[in-house]
Amino acid sequence: MKRRNFIKSMMAVSAVAATPMALMAKEDAPKAKKKGPNDMSFDAAVAAITGGKELKDSDKVKLTVPEIAENGAVVPVKVEIDHPMEENNYVKAIHVLSTKNGNVRCVDVMLTPANAKGYFATRIKLSSTQEVVGLAELSDGTFIKAGKSVKVTIGGCG
Amino acid sequence: MAETEARKSMIKIKPKKYKTGDIVKVDFIVIHPMDTGMKKDKKTGEVKPAHYIDNITFSFDGKPFTTMKVWETVSTNPYFSVNFKVPGKGKITVDYTDNTGEKNSKSKKLKPKD
Repeated sequence: MKRRNFIKSMMAVSAVAATPMALMAKEDAPKAKKKGPNDMSFDAAVAAITGGKELKDSDKVKLTVPEIAENGAVVPVKVEIDHPMEENNYVKAIHVLSTKNGNVRCVDVMLTPANAKGYFATRIKLSSTQEVVGLAELSDGTFIKAGKSVKVTIGGCG
Repeated sequence: MAETEARKSMIKIKPKKYKTGDIVKVDFIVIHPMDTGMKKDKKTGEVKPAHYIDNITFSFDGKPFTTMKVWETVSTNPYFSVNFKVPGKGKITVDYTDNTGEKNSKSKKLKPKD
């Protein structure tokens, strides 16, 4: 009787121990990435935006993002370009991108001299710790960018 | 879904007091789910279809001064902010569409204290 009970209780323990592992395995499986219709990698997005033209890092691009995002679903991003906004010399577009979201693109902002400043701010979702990139197109056809890493504890894409 | 109510949105001009020629901040905030199409509804278990704002045009007295292409990666109830040099008295209009074809518009008068 004692042996039977012992074996029973061992089986019960192992059943309980097994369950969390099974659950974990199930939760791990979805990490095989789901594809969204707009999915685009960082390199593909840059190619689409610049048409293959040179893209340089520039300290004219001031990117403000939190070092650590409390909530990956709402990450504030501010881009300021230190460049004139005159009729023939202005920031034509500001693009906000991530580096690891399924679709890295967030917003493409087409500006005009009436904006008076190369500035844009928004809030984006980040799926995990990654860089946020501010990419500017100037009216002379050149492209400049800056990137900053944001640590994400709770992913925001769902 | 046939008709939807006009969405709640807001245009904020900062600072509140400005003159012609001043550069103001134009903030646009709108209530919108910005669903990516990747998330399941916790109640039904069904994937919520992608539903997000995709295009925005900012105009002053009918003349566009900023356009935006928006992706599903922008946060729910999104916020967009740009600068604008006040040309004088007039009306800022924000026209926006989402991926379902829904069209909406919001306006705010600019009243410079010249």
